[in-house]
Amino acid sequence: MKVFRILAFGLIYAAVGGNAHAQSPAVATAEQRLAPYRKLPEFVAAGPAFDARHCMEGKSILGIPVSSANPFTKNIYIAMAAVAKKVGFKFTEWENQGQPSQWVQGMNYAINNKYNLIDLLGGTDPKVLAPQVKAATSVGIKVIASHYSGFEQPAPPGVSGVVPIDYFRAGQLLADWAIAKTGGKANALVIVSMEVNSTASMLNGIKEEFGKLCPDTCKYKVINAPVPEWSTKIQPNVQSALLADPSINYIIPIYDSMSQFVVPAVTITGKQDKVKIATFNGTPFVLGMVQQGKVEMDIGENLDWIGHAIADAEMRILCGLPEVKDPKIPFYIFDQTNADAAGHPPQLSTGYGNAYIEGYRKLWQLAN
Amino acid sequence: MPVRATRSSEPLRKALVEWAERLGLFIAWALTIAIFGLIAPEAFFTWANFSTILGSQAVLVVLTLGLLVPLTAGDYDLSMASVLTLSSMIIAVLNVNHQIPIGIAVGVAIAVGVLTGFLNGFFILYFRIHSLIVTLGIGTFLHGITLWISDSMTISGISAALVNAVIVWRFLGVPLEFYYAMAVCVALWYVFSYTAMGRRVLFVGRGREVARLSGIHVDRVRWGALITSGFLSSLAGVLYAGTTGAADPSSGLTYLLPAFAAAFLGSTSIEPGRFNPWGATVAVYFLVTGITGLSILGVRTFVQDLFYGGALVVAVALSQIVRGREERPQ
Repeated sequence: MKVFRILAFGLIYAAVGGNAHAQSPAVATAEQRLAPYRKLPEFVAAGPAFDARHCMEGKSILGIPVSSANPFTKNIYIAMAAVAKKVGFKFTEWENQGQPSQWVQGMNYAINNKYNLIDLLGGTDPKVLAPQVKAATSVGIKVIASHYSGFEQPAPPGVSGVVPIDYFRAGQLLADWAIAKTGGKANALVIVSMEVNSTASMLNGIKEEFGKLCPDTCKYKVINAPVPEWSTKIQPNVQSALLADPSINYIIPIYDSMSQFVVPAVTITGKQDKVKIATFNGTPFVLGMVQQGKVEMDIGENLDWIGHAIADAEMRILCGLPEVKDPKIPFYIFDQTNADAAGHPPQLSTGYGNAYIEGYRKLWQLAN
Repeated sequence: MPVRATRSSEPLRKALVEWAERLGLFIAWALTIAIFGLIAPEAFFTWANFSTILGSQAVLVVLTLGLLVPLTAGDYDLSMASVLTLSSMIIAVLNVNHQIPIGIAVGVAIAVGVLTGFLNGFFILYFRIHSLIVTLGIGTFLHGITLWISDSMTISGISAALVNAVIVWRFLGVPLEFYYAMAVCVALWYVFSYTAMGRRVLFVGRGREVARLSGIHVDRVRWGALITSGFLSSLAGVLYAGTTGAADPSSGLTYLLPAFAAAFLGSTSIEPGRFNPWGATVAVYFLVTGITGLSILGVRTFVQDLFYGGALVVAVALSQIVRGREERPQ
């Protein structure tokens, strides 16, 4: 009898107590989706190997970054310049201060000097360059908008192609992180810049993830702050939102440079222990904030890797190879457990491993 | 000659109008608090909300107060936001990249601000160039230097000692940066209202030639005003670095227009017709209270710009109407 009672008790405990410690399906799914991005990225080729040096001989690429004062685009172009030197083609960066009139000058320069391809990187908007894009493509110059749109977003009209980034997936991962860390009860403040093309893709990823995994227990609020107004709009609006809704437990600035203005808002309202910040881009100063515990998580992109991937995609176009639909640029999640790998102070493109360098060398059939 | 029936109430009416004008901004501020408090009392009428409003605007208050000095002397200083940005970047570069103690980094940043004021004064006064042009040029030049020393990057990890002293430590629940801004406001008010030096700045601003003929060293006064604005801009930069614990090469530049807006809005109140520190301070907090209320209500961010610009124009226009009625012959 006694044994029977013990057995029964044990079964009941397993049924009730055991389940109380089990994860909700939402949290389990979220953690499953995050898992591949917590391992050091592996190199995956975007297409078959080709003899880059041979087919790129005598060819030239002009790169127009959204702004030369933007370290993100600047460092991608440093990488592309290094690739150009290794492979043996001409790469020129058109330095500018973010004015569309300067982008126009760059387009005209490329047309006049007969470049083979114009790369519009990270927000140099083809929509405000429509006449120049048309003029370039009509004389056979390829115009590529890179790191501008998500996989599912249509290419801007007139361009020859895009090198997309999986912004939708990045948005999903941000939501997954909040879901996993809050046990499926996320109340998130999402900060966006609607005028930036990739925002729509990221926001859709966030919304879909919350909607699919925890439609009843998660909620979110969106604050829009245009890029030029980050310094004046983000801090006061985050402060007010935190005061208006004390149950907010996550802030998701979709571009991590916004964090500079989110952290003081959290500090001033005294919510450092309650409210966590999860973000995207992997900008070094934000990785520093992850090291200091001010930001909880930052999905990083290795800018040197991105430079290689964009160069790969564009070389394929110039070599007459099939267009790359997915440049295989990996994300890597940094949190306090691995942020130190980025360096002290954190450096660009550090902490991701070097698998891609050898990978691209082999892909391009380079001797060294 | 017709007898005016209301003759005895004229001085009373005049006094009422004068006090309404002086306190106009206070009244507007109180109305704003009342309206938002009625609509969202649980979120708006909390000490947490007010202490956040008071504690988070010190950078703009100090910058605006610094702007008042050259404006009173009749000069424009468009380099202030660039000095703010450069100062905060100098602190970041020295303290984070070169491990220099925060006290020395702050000292260097302030020295750079004072030097900029000196240079502004030199070019304006020696070469007799309009202050708008010189300060605009020097401000743009300083922005280039900021981009250079920072390599266009944001630098984070500034010493916790500075961040603590600015936004973490509190007195009566309000971060200390509010009290620093108040100290500057009180100091400026005292100098303008009770010292001969302050009066000289006012005379120079009101009429340069008359001041010169009265024996005031106009150039010295203007130079001093520009050095003061350089000093206060770099002080604002120190507070800015302490607010975010980081420095970036561009975001501080956006403070220039709000500082001008608050300075002009402040001149409609407390001491109407004159740039004054209390008016400017109340102007900053009135505008921020309005914006905080709007964002607590969840209103979209573009409405905040409508409020900011609209409030400025309406307030200055109202002030002009009141002044116009005063000046029209009876």
